[in-house]
Amino acid sequence: MHLQTDNHRWMLRPDVVSTVLNDGAVILDLRSKFFFSANPTGWAIAQMFETGATRAEVHDACRKWGAADAGIPEIDALIDQMISEGLVESVNTPASATNGVTVAAWVSPAFSKHREPLQRIMVSAFDPGLPLAE
Amino acid sequence: MTLAPTAQEQCTAAYSCGPVKLSLTFDKGSLQKALDGLLNQYDAPWAAPTTEVCVAIEHGLPPAHIPEPAGAYLHSYRLHVDRRGTHLVSFSNVGVWMDFDEAAKQARIIVPCHSDRETVVEEVEQQLVLLLARAWAGQGWTPLHAGSLIPPGGTDCVLVCAPSGVGKTTLISALLCQGWRTLGDDKVLLRKENGSIVARALSRRIHLHPTLANWFPEIGEIEKWPRYSRWTEKRMVKMEAIWPGQLMGSAIPAGLVRLTRTENGPALEVEPFDSIRTLHTLLSQIVIPADTADARPLISCAAAMAGRLRAALVTVGNNAFANTSTAGRLEEALRGLLP
Repeated sequence: MHLQTDNHRWMLRPDVVSTVLNDGAVILDLRSKFFFSANPTGWAIAQMFETGATRAEVHDACRKWGAADAGIPEIDALIDQMISEGLVESVNTPASATNGVTVAAWVSPAFSKHREPLQRIMVSAFDPGLPLAE
Repeated sequence: MTLAPTAQEQCTAAYSCGPVKLSLTFDKGSLQKALDGLLNQYDAPWAAPTTEVCVAIEHGLPPAHIPEPAGAYLHSYRLHVDRRGTHLVSFSNVGVWMDFDEAAKQARIIVPCHSDRETVVEEVEQQLVLLLARAWAGQGWTPLHAGSLIPPGGTDCVLVCAPSGVGKTTLISALLCQGWRTLGDDKVLLRKENGSIVARALSRRIHLHPTLANWFPEIGEIEKWPRYSRWTEKRMVKMEAIWPGQLMGSAIPAGLVRLTRTENGPALEVEPFDSIRTLHTLLSQIVIPADTADARPLISCAAAMAGRLRAALVTVGNNAFANTSTAGRLEEALRGLLP
């Protein structure tokens, strides 16, 4: 499947948790322990997948937020990254009402994966560090 | 801690561990004695505990009909933990089994007969640390594996974040010798309160390596204090014995240091951090279980703090504190992180 021509409805996996920061958001995948940071535009796109969205619906929303047609490939690249990282999954649910996402000023969406995941195996329930040989 | 015998070998004991009171029933008093050191360390002054968890600790075999946890909820060096409804079921390497019903606030720990007694005790301790971490979280607190420093006369603190062994305690000791105060060298509880984040102390103890006295003579001879564990030379020392009046009960986090150590670099380097790296640092010091409902408040607390903290990466040379000017330069850098 060529990801950029899909008609799937995509939704954030239940074990993907997002949290807002002053200048965007951070999305943590509790399964892989990797996290991703997004600028406000990237976060607005990611939020559309909280209630489920198709690629076309994301394109339409981005145009309303100020994206030009020339900017669609970078929006698709972000969606492709979310799909390839397994942050979203294809669902069969019908279209849901918009979740009220707004963007103050359109800028190119940024969505980057942090190099260092959180530890999968840790010292203890209080110390999330890497266990050292005892 | 209060202690009362119930039968010939049985005993009960109660410990105040920050906002949680642990009421333990043991089928053998010897295990209570072995766990006393762990449970007495959460002795920082708090108002009355806000919740009580009852734990029965008994010897035997885990229930045969309950599947062994796979570690889907949390996997530590010694524990595999799964969530099953309101229960956390945890199994350790040598077979210490715990079922903690968070809704009922009751737990049962079953201790196997095993030749390696020390390991058994350590794994019972790990089960109790898990239980406490969840009980604290249940009261809205986020356990953070970090030290903290408060300047003389101040109420804001700098959180000191680093993996174990990097030098949190050394850095904190250096500043305590300069008159700074602390909530502890490696454990703190955080909670949103009245639109702010408050940090609370958990322990009056600090874990000092005897060689620190080479750099900080005021520490004195600490070999007389009990070892923190059989895996380290560090001693569990009452703060008051060395730095009287320098343990605080609470503070407002305003700065954060991510500490690293270098073998051959300069004695001290300080590099500012952005909020994303600050959040990454905080999340790296919080045990986040793979359960969305349990993870969300912990991540939310970290994110709320990350946006407010002024943060820096502080790199300290291996022998930095041999030079007495390092502590002064460090103090200046930390003051720069505070309002």
